[in-house]
Amino acid sequence: MSDASRGAAGGRHTLHDRIEGRLRGHLLTALAVVTSVTLVVAFYYPVGTVLIEAVVVDGAATLSVFAAVLRDPFYFGELARLFAGESPLAVARALLGPDRRLGIVGFTAYQAALSTVASVALGLPAAYLLARFEFPGRRTLRSLTIVPFVLPSIMVAVGFVATFGTNGTLNAALSTLGLPRVDLMFTLRAVVIAHAFYNAPLVARVTTAAWESVDARAVETARSLGAGPVRAFFDVVAPQVYPAVLTGAALTFVFTFGTFPIVLALGGFELATIEVFVYHLVRDLSYAEAAALAIVELVISLGVLLAYLRYEARNTVSARGARPLPRRSLLPSAPTARELLPRLGLGAYAVAVGVLFLAPIASMVLASVTGGDGALTLEHYRFLVDRQQTGAAFQVRPWPAIRNSLAFASASTLLALPMGVVVAVLTTRRYRGRTLVDAAAMAPLAVSGIVVGLGLLRGLVFGVEVAGWRIAASGAIAIVVAHAVAGYPFVVRTVAPGLEGLDRSLIESARALGASRARVIRDVELPLVWPGVVAGAAFAFAISIGEFTATVVLATGGDAYTMPVAIERFIGRRLGPATAMGVVLLVVTGLSFVVIERLGGETSGL
Amino acid sequence: MADDTDATIDSDPSDRQALSRPDPSTRRRFLALGGAAGALALAGCSAQQTGDDGGDGSDGEDGSDGSDGDGGSDGEDGSDGDDEETPTLTVATYTSFIDAPSVSPGEWLKEEFESRVDAELEWATPDNELNYYVERAASGVSVDADLYVGLTTGDLVRVDDQLDDALFAERGEVDGFDAVREGLLFDPFDRAIPFDTGYVSLVYDGTTTEAPETFDGLLADDHSGALIAQNPGGSSTGRSFLLHTIHRFGDGGVAGDGDEETVAGDDGDPDYDYLDYWADLQANDVRVLGSWDDAYTAWSNGEAPMVVSYSTDQVFAADAGEDLEQHRIRFLNDQAYANPEGMAVFADADEPELAREFMSFVLEPEVQGEIAQRNVAFPATDTATLPDDYAELAKEPADPVTFTYDELQGSVGEWIDAWERQYAGN
Repeated sequence: MSDASRGAAGGRHTLHDRIEGRLRGHLLTALAVVTSVTLVVAFYYPVGTVLIEAVVVDGAATLSVFAAVLRDPFYFGELARLFAGESPLAVARALLGPDRRLGIVGFTAYQAALSTVASVALGLPAAYLLARFEFPGRRTLRSLTIVPFVLPSIMVAVGFVATFGTNGTLNAALSTLGLPRVDLMFTLRAVVIAHAFYNAPLVARVTTAAWESVDARAVETARSLGAGPVRAFFDVVAPQVYPAVLTGAALTFVFTFGTFPIVLALGGFELATIEVFVYHLVRDLSYAEAAALAIVELVISLGVLLAYLRYEARNTVSARGARPLPRRSLLPSAPTARELLPRLGLGAYAVAVGVLFLAPIASMVLASVTGGDGALTLEHYRFLVDRQQTGAAFQVRPWPAIRNSLAFASASTLLALPMGVVVAVLTTRRYRGRTLVDAAAMAPLAVSGIVVGLGLLRGLVFGVEVAGWRIAASGAIAIVVAHAVAGYPFVVRTVAPGLEGLDRSLIESARALGASRARVIRDVELPLVWPGVVAGAAFAFAISIGEFTATVVLATGGDAYTMPVAIERFIGRRLGPATAMGVVLLVVTGLSFVVIERLGGETSGL
Repeated sequence: MADDTDATIDSDPSDRQALSRPDPSTRRRFLALGGAAGALALAGCSAQQTGDDGGDGSDGEDGSDGSDGDGGSDGEDGSDGDDEETPTLTVATYTSFIDAPSVSPGEWLKEEFESRVDAELEWATPDNELNYYVERAASGVSVDADLYVGLTTGDLVRVDDQLDDALFAERGEVDGFDAVREGLLFDPFDRAIPFDTGYVSLVYDGTTTEAPETFDGLLADDHSGALIAQNPGGSSTGRSFLLHTIHRFGDGGVAGDGDEETVAGDDGDPDYDYLDYWADLQANDVRVLGSWDDAYTAWSNGEAPMVVSYSTDQVFAADAGEDLEQHRIRFLNDQAYANPEGMAVFADADEPELAREFMSFVLEPEVQGEIAQRNVAFPATDTATLPDDYAELAKEPADPVTFTYDELQGSVGEWIDAWERQYAGN
């Protein structure tokens, strides 16, 4: 932008300064406008082209498709009778009866609720460990927590079957110990565990960030006023951590509500969720019903997110500092119950983590070095090298996939951060219609991935016709923007709770001293919520690395593919090549997370 | 066909005219800049004038495509149509046809065709496969490919249902068409020419079980929990197996408006249809997983001794040095569901004659043999050159069965819908 002003002859300094001054003054507004435009172009318009098919059939507006879906007991179970006009009392009785039908929608919500409980239960101890204890490798461990988040479902399926299957590692270990074998595969339990594998890290990471932002002085004040450690925890620490736990829970619910390949891989069609049907309907080009189902999905997911946001807005605790609580050593300082019990609990938790998280990942790694005859081999990695060297130009090769993944993820993180911060600032103010802004900003989390893919194809790849010109977009830049749109809500959700809790007087003082709004955000607010910013960046990066649907749609030509695309392409009758590429993804992503967190620093430096 | 990957990858170079990719320096600058979202959204855009004669939309503005720094892209030829000397033939297909971890025919076909004909062959493998072209046509965007390779009967039914205008042209003059086996011709409107076929059958581990010889045998107690199949709504092997059960037991009038069976089963019992059979199969603990990958992974790990897969399984097993006893094929009732794959020229192809030349080339005996071996399938012609021992590992059923275009039309959607509602009713 300064290039343009430099061209103006005469008085360029004043012009330059004036433009710069203007920009500074309106930086926030400008960023908000850019964010909105990005969302409309890369999300709302594309998704709209698909969702509108639910209510416009053959060019005529109709609600019949929608009504048919709502009244269909297959989808809505007993509730369908309510939509069909039966009395709420009769429906309530049926719902309480022994033969109640949940319908696909009801079942989807049920398994999502179970998955959310499991993810929170498995995620909280990790947050406790990472936020409150000091031990060698803690920072690296914290960085690596989100790794499961990026794994393609086929990799998780491979790891889970090898770990929890009839002939899996777990059963082998149980037999050796003389314990009864477990039959986990193709049950709801397997699906819930897999969902926890993906989402407990999310709960852990978000909660850790909030816990690390708790001001030690507040706890010290409470203690000095005579509160015991338990009382201080529940009165001071817990209120600041709850919103983060609920953030994690709400996001987990929304993700597992829209779950797709993993349910069918580990559960089976008996456990089919809404998204399974959206996929089938889109594949068969039955767009009206697919769009109607996707809207149902969207409304429920968004409802959960908004309910959570209402809670968040009401329950933030004002904070004004960021001196984190001192961490304790993992070794007990004295052999007292108070010192030993939490550590014993963490020991038991470590065993659970070993079985549920490390064993499946270890199984993936093992599968990548196991040949068809069961012996150890490096042939699958040789396949990667070989494909890199001799693959045809139109085939997917490993190195461009790695390079693209890193470039897209870095770029989309850099884009998602300002977008997320701006929206976080806007949505933590109080004004009429804020709920609407919240809903609009969070919608990318709640829309069916399959619908987004189809929308991007129509809206961006094919483009729109304006005055005889077809405007279209695809390739690397479109992928980066699409990834940023998918990732920025995480930045909002990790940054907003902290901003909401900031003592307003800090901002008002800075403004009174003449700082612009943007400057206050940069110099006062962001440093105070820095752990949230770093966590948000890590999530934006992870979302981009793991993203598949939008990438394949926008990656026209042969060379804008990413690591998950390469994994998918290398799936064949033998799993070796795909798992080897999966291990490459694991290593590259793990290293990236460590780098991101190092760049982010441990604290705000205040 | 070798790999039933249900969601394949978009690597479609054909629509590059409308789309641009940034050059590496743009990307670096962007990386340095970070947050300039607006500039970004604009930089990814391209504009193309519409409303000309439709066919070739090659605008010269966009020279940066394909030059993404790896130097290996074959996409420097964005001039199709302009330069008559070496025309470009854009062949759309599914990804595993050109890029599979084991073998795929794409590379050989491209080299061989280009060595014989003065033309460049360019592959296009969009993620949504044929649906991508349906979407293009429905959105009024030029199709940008000359022919599609890998059409099934169900695909044609779906396309014809969805689009008012023809997506494909008539077959026209294609040498070698007479050699195609009569039973494989699946397009009543004579657009698609079959180029190979495959059979969906059971694959089982002979060291732990002996698969039953009939569908009814699968209901026996000792085969409880022994079979893994796939979701017919999302996987082509799963769909074929479901169709096979309908062929066997009849559809019970599901797709008709009355109670009359539109398909009478081979079993001769009008009171027992495929939904009854599936209820029994479900009671006997069949597993219906999502994709072929899911099912084959679970089966390979010993979750069940039998899986719905392809009758060419031993070709892969032998190639990987695995015990063939663990990869035995069973044709239930001596039957298997046949899935002929066809090719057809797009109605608005830029190079229709070159496309027909390609189809003639594909039907040549030597090429038919190569495609069959590299796609791990069976040739569509009687004249294909195949190694004598090919049939030892790639098995064909005594009695292949399949539904015709007319039988599938207006029915297949209802059949799957009824199955879903019964199987997943919560």
